[in-house]
Amino acid sequence: MGSRRSANWWTLWGVLILLWALFPLLWMVSLSFKDPATFRGSTPSFFPKEWTWKNYDTVFSDSLFTSALRNSAGIALIATGLSVIVAMFAAYAIARLDFPGKRLILTVALAIAMFPQAALVGPLFNMWRGLGIYDTWIGLIIPYLTFALPLSIWTMSAFFRQIPWEMEQAAQVDGATAWQAFRKVIVPLAAPGVFTTAILTFFFCWNEFLLAISLTSTDKARTVPAALSFFTGASQFESPITAIMAASVVVTIPIVILVLAFQRRIVAGLTTGAVKG
Amino acid sequence: MTATIEAAPPPVEAPRRPKYSERTAHERRLGLILSAPAFIVMVLITAYPLGYAVVMSTYRYRLTDPAGKEFVGLANYATVLTDPIWWSAFSTTAIITLVSVAIELVLGFGFAWVMYRIIRGRGFIRTGILIPYGIITVVSAYIWRYAFQLDSGFINQWFGLGDFNWFGERWSSLFVITFSEIWKTTPFISLLLLAGLVQVPNELLEAATVDGATSSQRLWKVVLPNMKAAIMVALLFRTLDAWRIFDNPFIMTAGANDTETLSFLAYRQNVTLVNLGAGSAVSVLLFFTVVLIAFVFIKGFKTDLSQVRGD
Amino acid sequence: MSAPTALGVRRRAVVLVMALAAPIALFGCGDGGESSGAAHLTWYINPDNGSQATLAKQCSEQSQGAFTIETQVLPNEADAQREQLVRRLAAQDDSIDLMSLDPPFVAEFANAGYLLPITNADDVAEFTDGVLDAPLETAYWDDKLVAPPFWANTQLLWYRKSVAQAAGVDPTAPDFTWDEMITAAEDQGKRIGVQGRRYEGYMVWINALVVSGGGQIVENVDQGANATPSMAGPAGDAAADIVGNLARSSAAPADLATAGEEEARSTFQSDQGSFMVNWPYVYSAAQESVTSGAIDQSVVDDIGWARYPAVASGQPSAPPLGGINLAIGNFTNHPDEALAAAKCITSLPSNVQYMVESGNPAARSAAYDDPEVRQAFPMADLIRDSIDSAGPRPITPYYGDVSTSVQRTWHPESSVRAPGTPEKTDTYMGEVLSGDRLL
Repeated sequence: MGSRRSANWWTLWGVLILLWALFPLLWMVSLSFKDPATFRGSTPSFFPKEWTWKNYDTVFSDSLFTSALRNSAGIALIATGLSVIVAMFAAYAIARLDFPGKRLILTVALAIAMFPQAALVGPLFNMWRGLGIYDTWIGLIIPYLTFALPLSIWTMSAFFRQIPWEMEQAAQVDGATAWQAFRKVIVPLAAPGVFTTAILTFFFCWNEFLLAISLTSTDKARTVPAALSFFTGASQFESPITAIMAASVVVTIPIVILVLAFQRRIVAGLTTGAVKG
Repeated sequence: MTATIEAAPPPVEAPRRPKYSERTAHERRLGLILSAPAFIVMVLITAYPLGYAVVMSTYRYRLTDPAGKEFVGLANYATVLTDPIWWSAFSTTAIITLVSVAIELVLGFGFAWVMYRIIRGRGFIRTGILIPYGIITVVSAYIWRYAFQLDSGFINQWFGLGDFNWFGERWSSLFVITFSEIWKTTPFISLLLLAGLVQVPNELLEAATVDGATSSQRLWKVVLPNMKAAIMVALLFRTLDAWRIFDNPFIMTAGANDTETLSFLAYRQNVTLVNLGAGSAVSVLLFFTVVLIAFVFIKGFKTDLSQVRGD
Repeated sequence: MSAPTALGVRRRAVVLVMALAAPIALFGCGDGGESSGAAHLTWYINPDNGSQATLAKQCSEQSQGAFTIETQVLPNEADAQREQLVRRLAAQDDSIDLMSLDPPFVAEFANAGYLLPITNADDVAEFTDGVLDAPLETAYWDDKLVAPPFWANTQLLWYRKSVAQAAGVDPTAPDFTWDEMITAAEDQGKRIGVQGRRYEGYMVWINALVVSGGGQIVENVDQGANATPSMAGPAGDAAADIVGNLARSSAAPADLATAGEEEARSTFQSDQGSFMVNWPYVYSAAQESVTSGAIDQSVVDDIGWARYPAVASGQPSAPPLGGINLAIGNFTNHPDEALAAAKCITSLPSNVQYMVESGNPAARSAAYDDPEVRQAFPMADLIRDSIDSAGPRPITPYYGDVSTSVQRTWHPESSVRAPGTPEKTDTYMGEVLSGDRLL
């Protein structure tokens, strides 16, 4: 099998998949340039009949969106950072060490991941008002951390488990403590898992809608998904969809950059020889 | 209330390593210390709401009518379980979950494989595939809703469907919702599967090739078995997420034409109607269904992530 | 093995944790102290084009230091607005001083004790003198004034003059009925614009039909959860006939089951447009469509308006009622200032200004005589008459239940039949109200 030909073959598939993944984004961009008063009609078209920057003006003229961007970024980054660290420790312990209550933690983590969020809105709201953290960053970071941990722990446990035990044993035979073995051997090998978890957690926080809408009330802590439901058209009946699309385009650009950066890290993790002896 | 999958943690066997009993104690302590923060955070946040929901479900309580609060025991559960709305939401959720997860698994594996094997344009492809997952879910729902909608979208024109109202009937609405869900979350599965693929030891693959295995045999006998844990995590979490789908039906149909899902039902009862009694019963029941699913999965896969020393 | 990376990772982790701790400390703290002097009032508004914020500023200035009003915007959808307010009022939030409420919510909020009643007779007079009849009905609960009307809304019948002429009908005639309208559209091969999606707008339509027919959806509303559903009967049957016949006729738009106000306007402005029931905003929206080139000026010239169609010949219709009422939160720390602010916001000059700026009709009758208003709204008198004789939606604390049970049983339109559907609604609503069925 000619390696040049098969390389092209894979690239072709890649391009097709790319089209499938990105084509709706083209639609999103197209909608963002349509005039809000006229994008409906009996003969709608894919591309705008007339291109307009109106929606982008709307998005940036109001501090609603820019503050939401700031809140989303801050909350998602902090929650992701904390989640990765906390989950990494727990996952290592679960996959590598013997201690009582291990299964219980996994079970509890799973149970947390399964609980319907709609039921949490009321009680969490009451709790947060009592503690005075309603409508603050930390008021969202804590629930996000809670809901991101289960997946993080399970994902990283799976990763840690796949790493051959011999690695650590070799290090321990050489005299390292469990902590040193963790630091110098496991962490670099688990890098792909860590970054995978980080991406998934970040996207979870970025996308989260229900708690964002329920635990915030002003632009002090309102995130982008919640802010989108505050977008309005020229009248209360006019659909704000074109403005929402403009905001989405703006919000997607950093996502693309982020994914590009993280994707390289995963590749780097792979090529340092995760499983070479 | 707890939902334990196993009855109780089985007694942990301390490995017999006579020279290192200190090490064992140290290991156990370290294990507890490392996992304590995660455990504390998770329990602290969800214990109160969980308890609250269970207690509330035994009352008939409308938040805006505090005078009408009365204890009714399990009557709410009886109401919910005999209500056609609950069962309609149940079947809708089941259909969406089964179809989307099945398709996503196959599609996601295909994507993961491509991401794994591709050489030219690797960075672009890998980035591009992940982007749908980074789009805000409500935005994605809007994108697809306005694509399929009669007066603003292009689907009908491109496929020559004329006047067909996608959101006018149950099956077509479910199609659009499921399609949108698949587009959005396949990257999630493919990412997890890619990470699992990457960990399959190269030596095994090379050895299998040397032994004359075909690519199909390599796939089924070398690659997949070594990815078992990754597949299970991907499948489990994706199924749990799909079962609790909310954003897509909320934006696309608002539950019309029998497309309401269980999460949406819980939301409407708890948040919109502030009918906390019945709403809490719905939440608790929803929780039970999710527990059931997880139980089936874990038993089915027979993979214990907490096992330490090898298979 | 990669020693440098491991060390680097640990160092980075420590730095990361410390870096993260700082912002948490910063943003975790709540707001600092209050400024003394002018009372700071927060007015929670539904989204509009900024006119409420303008009013807020003006009234603050006019108060000469007594209070300042800050507007906080609520989500776009009425349901979402209610959800936000209910949760916070149930927690006795004292930061909610004024709120712009959708009229159907007033009963529920008042019954739950969330609204500050206005008891002083002079104040009541100031809020209610000269206000049109129907909006005034929605301002009271338990015989107390709880939410004075701010602005009001109603639907008109909009029609394409060319189509009406070709069909030989006069929509402005007092006894122009729904049946006539449907027949005319069918004859001309056109479509009728209505709101048929399963949402509150559909309830607006159904309620208007029932009340126009002389009936009520719910009776004995003071009984709370024991109110009597009363859809079954001649009025309910007439309404079901109209909805069902339209849905099954060729005049039904293809997206009837998912159409909202904008979709109806879209149909009306297209080649298939003939008749439409919709709020008055559509007129200025149509003019804007011309400026942005979506439709031709000839379409706008072809638009005529008339009173909401009647259900039965000889019985004047009860047009739908919308709008916004202004309420004072019961837990506010500044009840006197809030009251003064509310008086300013709902005064006649404010009404006029708001109507011209935002396009939303006024609740006070005298506003319609203002020359600026009459210039912006050629159909000002028709709007005033329609609002005055409008039929409000049921005023009950269980409005959510009532509305959703109606929406559920009447959707999709093609399944609506008389007498089956109204009877089904009554049964279902009764079970929901008594808690035996989920909604």
